[in-house]
Amino acid sequence: MKKVLFVCSGGMSSAIVEKALKAEADKAGVELEANAVGSGEAQDAIAGNDWDIVLVAPQVRNRFNTFKEYADAKGIRIENIPPRDYSPLGGKHLLDLIQK
Amino acid sequence: MNSFFDMLDTKFAQPLSKISEQRHLRAVRDGVISAIPLIIIGSFFLIVAMPPIPTNWAYHVWATAHVQQIMIPYRMTFWIMSLYICFGVGYNLAKSYDLDPLAGGQLSVATFLLSIMPTFTKSGSIMLDMSTLGSVGIFPCMILAIFAVEVLRFCKQHNLMFKMPEQVPSSVAHSFEAVIPAGFLMIVMTLINVVFKINLEQVIQTIFSPLVKAGDTLPGVLVPVFLVVFFWFFGIHGDSIVGSVARPVWLQYFTENAEKVAHGGVATHIAPETFFQWFIWIGGSGATIGLIIAALIVGRAKYTKSITRACAVPALFNINEPIIFGFPVMLNPIFLIPFILAPIVMTLVTWFAFSLGLVHMMFVQPPWTLPAPIGAFLATGGDWRAIVLCLINIAIATVIYFPFVRMYDKNELAKENGEIVED
Repeated sequence: MKKVLFVCSGGMSSAIVEKALKAEADKAGVELEANAVGSGEAQDAIAGNDWDIVLVAPQVRNRFNTFKEYADAKGIRIENIPPRDYSPLGGKHLLDLIQK
Repeated sequence: MNSFFDMLDTKFAQPLSKISEQRHLRAVRDGVISAIPLIIIGSFFLIVAMPPIPTNWAYHVWATAHVQQIMIPYRMTFWIMSLYICFGVGYNLAKSYDLDPLAGGQLSVATFLLSIMPTFTKSGSIMLDMSTLGSVGIFPCMILAIFAVEVLRFCKQHNLMFKMPEQVPSSVAHSFEAVIPAGFLMIVMTLINVVFKINLEQVIQTIFSPLVKAGDTLPGVLVPVFLVVFFWFFGIHGDSIVGSVARPVWLQYFTENAEKVAHGGVATHIAPETFFQWFIWIGGSGATIGLIIAALIVGRAKYTKSITRACAVPALFNINEPIIFGFPVMLNPIFLIPFILAPIVMTLVTWFAFSLGLVHMMFVQPPWTLPAPIGAFLATGGDWRAIVLCLINIAIATVIYFPFVRMYDKNELAKENGEIVED
């Protein structure tokens, strides 16, 4: 069971990517729990659950260090999503990234 | 070309984007965002009170007779926006300092209210003019919230607080932390407001007035439009960065427009945030609705087709991250020109349409995920010409994107046929 948190600007676009990832995980038979939040809620969301990984959307990568502080405080792995994978077609690459 | 983009990214886009990470701007942004539900719903009561239907219809007659009552939900929310924003800014700033957020919000509201002089009537009631909590209070409430929280922080840093004995539960002890800063703020604000009779709200307004004047002009709308697409070209959320700085100004226009309409006048500010939302960022920042329409028409390559299909529905609701990162537009020299040019041309057209009075100025804020023509119609309080302007802008975007999308598609097709190898 992998618990994944997406952080984007408003929690909207990452919900699309989250769906793509879930579809890919279903196909691969990987159990996955994912949630998407906006950057404003990131601090509470990161602290509020025992995530395996936090994925930061490319359009808010300029705030990566801020999010990293929150994640480091809980010892959670945090990664930037490669821009090209941040699309409805990027599910497979994301699954690889998570399972790395 | 790529090293040039790298240079722009590392030398300009990334450092500039740090602005939005500035603690106080972040608190202001999050404070404003926290009030958006009240703005959206509150502003809708203006349409309910002044429906865009023929004046002889029964509902219109009824609404006109009860206009003040219908507007009460607006009056208690959007109209006195500064009160809510003040709390939101104070709360978020205190939270960012790891101070008690509730204390931060409350001290901020107290400080803001103390900057306003109530009036005393002959019958003995004490009245607070609600309009002082509206558009005129937006900058003052932000500045005063920052002031209040900084005082709270200073007191905590220098241990200026009552020490409770160990046995006192921490929640009780916590509530005493704000006693000294509260006392200090109340004394200072009372001195300014009551003893020296300084109208702080007016002073702060005057300081910010050049900024407020500038934002409504043609350069005042072109600069944010350019900056937003500039950031997005590097894949950075331009709206949230530019908005961190400009949103208080946009919000003031918007609140003032609503106030004027609520008092039977017409809106006079061209450029609240809805200007960009419904007429420029159609389908998302960069007016990528044009890109999608063009791709639907000319797309032949397999990749173009599948990515267009995946992006089309979100684009209807102004979500375009899949386009920016999927096509991609980001750092893609093919799309650089239309991505900047289309919004600029649309801005020119829209600004002149508003300033020539061809379309009513906006005072309603529909949720940003509505399809643009509907959003534009509602934002203007139901002016059908807003739909026409929005459709014209969509056509402009499509025409400008068209040749570049064709170039992109040919390129993808060549890749798929193995004519060029991807670098």
